Amino acid sequence: MILARLALRNLLRQQRRTALTLMVVVAGFLALSLAGGFMAQTFQGLSDAAIRGGLGHLQVMPPGALEGDEAQSLEKALPEGEALAQRLRQDPAVAEVLPRTQFMGLLSNGPRSVAFLGTAVDPVLEPKYMACAEALQNGALTKGGVGSHWLSGDPAAREVILGTGLARALDASVGSSLTLMSTTREGALNAVDVEVAGLQDLGLRELNDRFLTVSLGTADQLLDSAQARSRLSVMLKRPQDTAMEQARLQGLLPGTSVKPWFELASFYRQVKLLYFAIFGFMGLVLFLVVLLATANTLLMSVMERVREFGVLRAMGLQPRQLLVLLQWEGAFLGFLGSALGLLATLLLRAGLNALHVQMPAPPGSSHGYELFIHFVPWVYLLVALGLQLTIQVSALFPGLKAARLRIVEALRHV
Amino acid sequence: MLEFRAITRAYELGGERAGVFGVSLTVPKGCLAVLAGPSGSGKTTLLQLAGLLDTPDEGEVRLAGELVSSLPEKARCDLRLRRLGFVFQAFNLVPVLSALENVMLPLQLQGRPEAEARERAEAALARVGLADRRHHHPGQLSGGQQQRTAIARALAPEPLLVLADEPTASLDHAHGGPLLDLMAELAQERGATFLVASHDPSVIARAHTVFRLLDGKLVEVG
Repeated sequence: MILARLALRNLLRQQRRTALTLMVVVAGFLALSLAGGFMAQTFQGLSDAAIRGGLGHLQVMPPGALEGDEAQSLEKALPEGEALAQRLRQDPAVAEVLPRTQFMGLLSNGPRSVAFLGTAVDPVLEPKYMACAEALQNGALTKGGVGSHWLSGDPAAREVILGTGLARALDASVGSSLTLMSTTREGALNAVDVEVAGLQDLGLRELNDRFLTVSLGTADQLLDSAQARSRLSVMLKRPQDTAMEQARLQGLLPGTSVKPWFELASFYRQVKLLYFAIFGFMGLVLFLVVLLATANTLLMSVMERVREFGVLRAMGLQPRQLLVLLQWEGAFLGFLGSALGLLATLLLRAGLNALHVQMPAPPGSSHGYELFIHFVPWVYLLVALGLQLTIQVSALFPGLKAARLRIVEALRHV
Repeated sequence: MLEFRAITRAYELGGERAGVFGVSLTVPKGCLAVLAGPSGSGKTTLLQLAGLLDTPDEGEVRLAGELVSSLPEKARCDLRLRRLGFVFQAFNLVPVLSALENVMLPLQLQGRPEAEARERAEAALARVGLADRRHHHPGQLSGGQQQRTAIARALAPEPLLVLADEPTASLDHAHGGPLLDLMAELAQERGATFLVASHDPSVIARAHTVFRLLDGKLVEVG
């Protein structure tokens, strides 16, 4: 402990230099922890968008559903999808099961027809678990979207919600009558007249140009699908158990493929990798700055205390104990810097979140979002440990220099 | 107590060969011995060899009968910590520690509990007349007080041998004399051996044994 006390006193002796070094450590901590909070917001937003965008926590699908395209409607489907959904709803870990049918075809206003990608959903369950309302609200603000509402729960209702681009292509607005055309499971051409219930803005232009949503009843009539469903989106009671429940449900449902949302959300994975690369590089640069700053401080401290080290060595201090002394100085710098950095992070985070800063729309998205820096203790811990390690490494060279001093020369040092 | 046997330690100084050459001498236990001689006569070199701060080119250094000059560095560190004390010309107290903490330092480095170290350090400071200055830092002490603190620091671990390099050179006569009297008293009182390098006549006058050196050779023992 005497070495620790000596280290602390030495840092306090050079207050200005110590303060400057601490500022570098604090700045490093602040930058990395705020970046971590921002990344957490982004990942949270993307995972919410993926889960509530239709994937659910888990998706049950036929094996091989993700390989190749369908030659005709519901070729790759769960033949007894509705019954399977009913069975899954009895599972204690499952909050709800949302059956979905995916199909494609042509949408016509008479003189003009446009190809579409359709999803059929349960009009009652879907708004409870999925992010339908936001897309509809945004769609209502576009031309022809006034009066947009969600699909009717009436099984006899034949309604459609169009992507804004698709509506524009057909000059359709809320209340317009259109015709959906596709092939049945048996390959026969079929058509259903539908009324536009609303327009939806899904945030991506490519989706808005092609995407439409109908009720399962409408799709059943169009595709003659009976009980068949393309996918079952499973909402879990405990989302944090997704990986574990995926393995368990896969065991319970032979002949199906159960996939967690993060395996299916390729955009989420790509953004995550990109962010890790960007912030990893930024972290590397910051750690390097901290390393150089603390190494400089400790080296200057060693050069100023050559005679003192000579005296300590003459008194019997082992060379490795001088190394430990410098490591203690580094440890105090790291600990104090991280503690102050954490305080600064929490204050700045609170300030930034209170400002409700609007961020620009990300690439490919049609609207921005509000900045919210998340509170992420594990990131703070990781940054503190990383900085501590960096400073300990930076203390090695000055420490070795001190340990290698020849005592008689150190005692003569002026 | 301390024995040099045919010690040679040579080095280049300003293009000339300096050091000590074939010196043999014995310092008896409990005495105040002085290495006397002009600058460059080899006093400090012998003191550094006695303090295991340097190794001889030839010859042996024995402490309490044990050959210590060829020990590995770790063992030398341990010997310095437990059996040797140092007093330097420039005092060399650790500036960030108080007088009391400076005296406690070698005791704590020995691994003694803080309470014991404090008790012994307070006693050592009281013995050199600095009980009321124990919480002062070196910058707040006069030269004489700093040197007395250094003596307390050297003596607190109860070493066999205290090595002092020109301990009065940074002090005026009024402070140097009492300091030497104190060292002589302590040598007698504690049975500790003092080996002092000095060319100060007042130091030589108080010595029990004087080893006179000239150009790195022992020329007189008195």
